[in-house]
Amino acid sequence: MRQDGDALDELVARDRDHECEGYGSSQVCVRAVAVADLPTRFGAFRLVGFWNNRDSKEHVAMVHGAVVGEEDVPVRLHSECLTGDVMGSLRCDCRDQLTEALRTIARGPRGVLLYLRQEGRGIGLLNKIRAYALQEQGLDTVEANRALGFRDDERDYAVAAHMLKTLGIRSVRLITNNPDKIRQLTQHGVVVAGRIPHVIPPNEFNRFYLETKARRSGHMIDLTEKRLAEQSDPVVVEGMETP
Amino acid sequence: MPLGESVLVVGAGVAGLACARALSAAGASVSVIDRARGVGGRCATRRVEGQPVDLGVAFLHGRDPDFLAALESVPATPLPGWPQEVHGTGRPCQPEAFRPGEGRRAYVEGVNAFPRWLARGIGVRLGARVERLELSDRLPRAVLEGGEAIEAETLVLALAPEQSGRLLASAPAAPSPVATARALLGMAASEPSLSLAALYPSSADGPRWQVCYPSESTVLQLASHDSTKRRAPRFLAMVFQAHPRWSRAHADRPEWPDLLLAEAARLLGAWAAAPLHRHPHRWRFARTDRSGEMASPLLVRLPGGGRLGLCGDRFAPGGGVEAAWLSGRALAGRILAEEGA
Repeated sequence: MRQDGDALDELVARDRDHECEGYGSSQVCVRAVAVADLPTRFGAFRLVGFWNNRDSKEHVAMVHGAVVGEEDVPVRLHSECLTGDVMGSLRCDCRDQLTEALRTIARGPRGVLLYLRQEGRGIGLLNKIRAYALQEQGLDTVEANRALGFRDDERDYAVAAHMLKTLGIRSVRLITNNPDKIRQLTQHGVVVAGRIPHVIPPNEFNRFYLETKARRSGHMIDLTEKRLAEQSDPVVVEGMETP
Repeated sequence: MPLGESVLVVGAGVAGLACARALSAAGASVSVIDRARGVGGRCATRRVEGQPVDLGVAFLHGRDPDFLAALESVPATPLPGWPQEVHGTGRPCQPEAFRPGEGRRAYVEGVNAFPRWLARGIGVRLGARVERLELSDRLPRAVLEGGEAIEAETLVLALAPEQSGRLLASAPAAPSPVATARALLGMAASEPSLSLAALYPSSADGPRWQVCYPSESTVLQLASHDSTKRRAPRFLAMVFQAHPRWSRAHADRPEWPDLLLAEAARLLGAWAAAPLHRHPHRWRFARTDRSGEMASPLLVRLPGGGRLGLCGDRFAPGGGVEAAWLSGRALAGRILAEEGA
């Protein structure tokens, strides 16, 4: 199945000479530079590679169906997590979040997952390993995580917003449990027309969250004190109250 | 009864001064102490035979608009774009200094003009060495050599990570947030640099370039043609800075200045072997290893009600004077935000 192929190829041709003032205070400018089919176990996607002027990271969009010029496009922002996405780490739930988002998108006619290459939400894998080491020593890591770069970066949203604009998406339905993500994207000029709750099916590995939920009141579980909030999204597992 | 301060900053380098300046501008009572005789830390200009020589940082560079504006505001004679003539293909101490979009400059009066300008109007006590800290059950205190204690609501350490770590280790019964701070400080090490100012007759056949990073030397990382920054200099002045690894191996060998000069003569010509005057300096903590770089300064609450802040060139991305300045200002912002809350 071929979706939206020509429209995406046209974006690459259009962006060849693209220069702009940029988005946000960090003045991020991005260009779509390469497009190819990416068949996945979740469904058919097109992979769009972006260049940007602020970091040396190669951010990508996984595009399902026709999205150029469309409204109400389901969109998920995912921050790269080598340990979770690739290695299947149980220190975080990034892999569950990634695969569930791709399933949600592939079930519908269209959608986009922005895969943002900011390992550890900040300055890299080395600091993430350092943060894990601090946890092992039983040290208070809230302040340490901040210093090591585990926090939302205004730049993340500026890049994401500009990628969505480059794809010609007119409005999005954000797959998230995090109201702040909606606010930040809106500030960068993205029209957020709605939200799709991001709910992960329970399995033997994320039972932890359900147990934690039983011990604490409220469904929005703040795990930042014990774990790194690598996806800046509170975890919701089926069986919890949906936010 | 110890002298009371709202904020006490230990370390009058660029990070400490930027922090103190931003706090003071917001109306906080702040004072700074440093064990050295002058402000600026590694942003150092010494007079050798009456001629200013930049012994540490050779020039200033950055891209943050606020930082560049701060450099612009210094009432000194700027040398915008210095160094224009860069020679050699060795790795610069900070490769990002030569990326497109990076602003570079020096001052005729020396790079120390920048920290001196930051320090204006701020109470800076020099020649005072902090021996140990007390952080347990009341407001934090810095105990100086000789026993004098200074108490503050917020104690800021704006020092090299090793120096901050040593002071934190000196605090008896330090609470758990301090252990976290120590662990963070212990994750990466500073690199030393042996640095030598050498003065030659102004008639000497000096190099055509302003800065050289020799690729063919394991000894010399940087040669700076310092007198090209001065107006009508009496001497041709060079500053030679050694690679971290060589510096580590030779720091305790008294003949290191001769070895450094011999290498300079091999690379630049025989004239460089025998200067008229020389001024050696050992920078034990010249710069931080970039792999240990952090995203922001650290501010932790202490059980006694006070706070402990850490800033410095390691506590902002990019390293160097710009990171030091940004981290100091960011820490001041966090201290003020917590007070307002």
